[in-house]
Amino acid sequence: MAIPIAPHAWHRNREGLGIWEGRGRVVATGVGTSPTARRWDEKPDTSMGALTIMAIRRAIEDAGIMPDEIDGIVLTPESTTGVSNDPNAPAPAGWDSVFKSVDYPQAGITRGDIDWILLNMPELKNVEFRMNGPVCMSVAFTTAAEAVSRGLTKTCLVVRGWHNLGGRYYVGQGAAALDTASGPAKYGSIWGMPACASTAMVFEEYCNKYGKSHDMMAPFIVEERRNGLMNPDGYYTQHRPEMMTVDDYLSGRWIAKPANIYDNDLPIQAALAVVFTTPELAAHHKLKPVYILNHAQTRPELQGAVPTLNEWERATDRMGRMLYEGAGIGPEDVSFENMYDGFTLFHQFHLEGLRFGSRGEKRGYALDLYQTDISIDGPNPVSPSGGNNGNGRTRWWNHRDCILQIQGRSPSQIKRPAEIGISGAHVPNFCDALVWAASAD
Amino acid sequence: MGCVCRLAGDAYKGEGLAFLISFDIDGTLEFGDPPGGITVEMVRRAQQLGFLIGSCSDRFPSAQRALWEAREIKVDFVAAKHMLPDIRSRFDATKYLHIGDRELDQQLAQQAGFEFFWDHEGVAEPWLAWLETHAD
Repeated sequence: MAIPIAPHAWHRNREGLGIWEGRGRVVATGVGTSPTARRWDEKPDTSMGALTIMAIRRAIEDAGIMPDEIDGIVLTPESTTGVSNDPNAPAPAGWDSVFKSVDYPQAGITRGDIDWILLNMPELKNVEFRMNGPVCMSVAFTTAAEAVSRGLTKTCLVVRGWHNLGGRYYVGQGAAALDTASGPAKYGSIWGMPACASTAMVFEEYCNKYGKSHDMMAPFIVEERRNGLMNPDGYYTQHRPEMMTVDDYLSGRWIAKPANIYDNDLPIQAALAVVFTTPELAAHHKLKPVYILNHAQTRPELQGAVPTLNEWERATDRMGRMLYEGAGIGPEDVSFENMYDGFTLFHQFHLEGLRFGSRGEKRGYALDLYQTDISIDGPNPVSPSGGNNGNGRTRWWNHRDCILQIQGRSPSQIKRPAEIGISGAHVPNFCDALVWAASAD
Repeated sequence: MGCVCRLAGDAYKGEGLAFLISFDIDGTLEFGDPPGGITVEMVRRAQQLGFLIGSCSDRFPSAQRALWEAREIKVDFVAAKHMLPDIRSRFDATKYLHIGDRELDQQLAQQAGFEFFWDHEGVAEPWLAWLETHAD
């Protein structure tokens, strides 16, 4: 039977809904992170599926519970934004000696699959609730939050793995290897526009409107790398521990000016699993529960093939208002923000939508904020996780760090009390975000 | 190899021949990601023979420097890949060569007036033949 996705009504995607009905009734406890790799070496035990299983076992152990307490899984099946194998491509040699296979031959290789996980993790013998959170792990988190708050699952895993095959991401592979372009890609990709180009255009519009420059991004980029290098689970810590300097960043090759190569995140292999449960059941988990106060969603309302500054500002403003309304809090209550950063040039749209670190400004202030102390020691910790830029592309370092910050065990723990944090991904007008808190009140 | 050493020894002095080799890192050098076929030993041999050597890569410059230092090689330059023209302007050489694994390497090398070898061609150390060609 096909795995369902959340009904549309579960997503809080408009204003005026009031306080979220599930506010304070869902918590995160255990977190499990796999090792990282730049690319898959085609061995079964380093596959995306193997990393996913490893992350799940670590999350369960981290929570201090038994595997048979897990009664639900919400998973993001897509495991790349780049190149995948043909869906019918057979598994590599030796695969069957390590894993049991389901009907979908690429399960565990280039696609996450709940049935495949359950088949290969017999210890998860009580899973009744299964749901996919498509496209982004943010959707899996919001879906799982709703599922727990609605009583459909009591102790639920939220899971996403990422694969990265050999070869060059986007270059001469997948859609880029075809002679024709179809779908929305025919309006942009046909002219060779790289993935970051639309972000670069909106960023340029932002700079022109507010009198800012690409150079002003440097402190943010460097701070993110510094935060990421504190994380023992991050790709850069594990494989490229060199610290980036402002001069390094400014020397970067333009990919789509004003986006340079270091504004683009590095594709990697990795997996994350998180345990969601109720506050009552969390009482016997070994970790401090992190409450979810609200979640919200935006989706594109484009008038053209590429977004505009106005559209991104409108979408992120709305996200901020929805999150605060449903959580019953305001910008002044937020201890830190971990909004998405892949590409780095759109992080400020998310940040300004939340009015994070604002001194009354509404728009056009984030790059000025970047010139102040945005470190984990300062009053306005910006992206303390380090995000994709500091850890490699996953779209989940930010969510993970919100949980760890509030539990007081982040490797880049902020100095001020971590009471409330916000994370969301991915692009400014296609975003699912959550408000995490130390208490339900 | 006596002639070779003499030629190479003059490389920095502006009196003799100077050959400059720029290595891409990822996909080209053995410590790249992915690893390439050109070994540290090949680089070290080129340097010992007097070639000006360094890297022009998409790894940021301070990271390139750290990678070389970790292998105890004191390179003459590191730069972002698109800065090949700057390297050419900084060093007065008879030949300029960039070795890489992507069409972008080839494109940037040609634009900067560098000769270009693919990574798999570089494995044969074709630059060594230059020394013989220019020897007395």
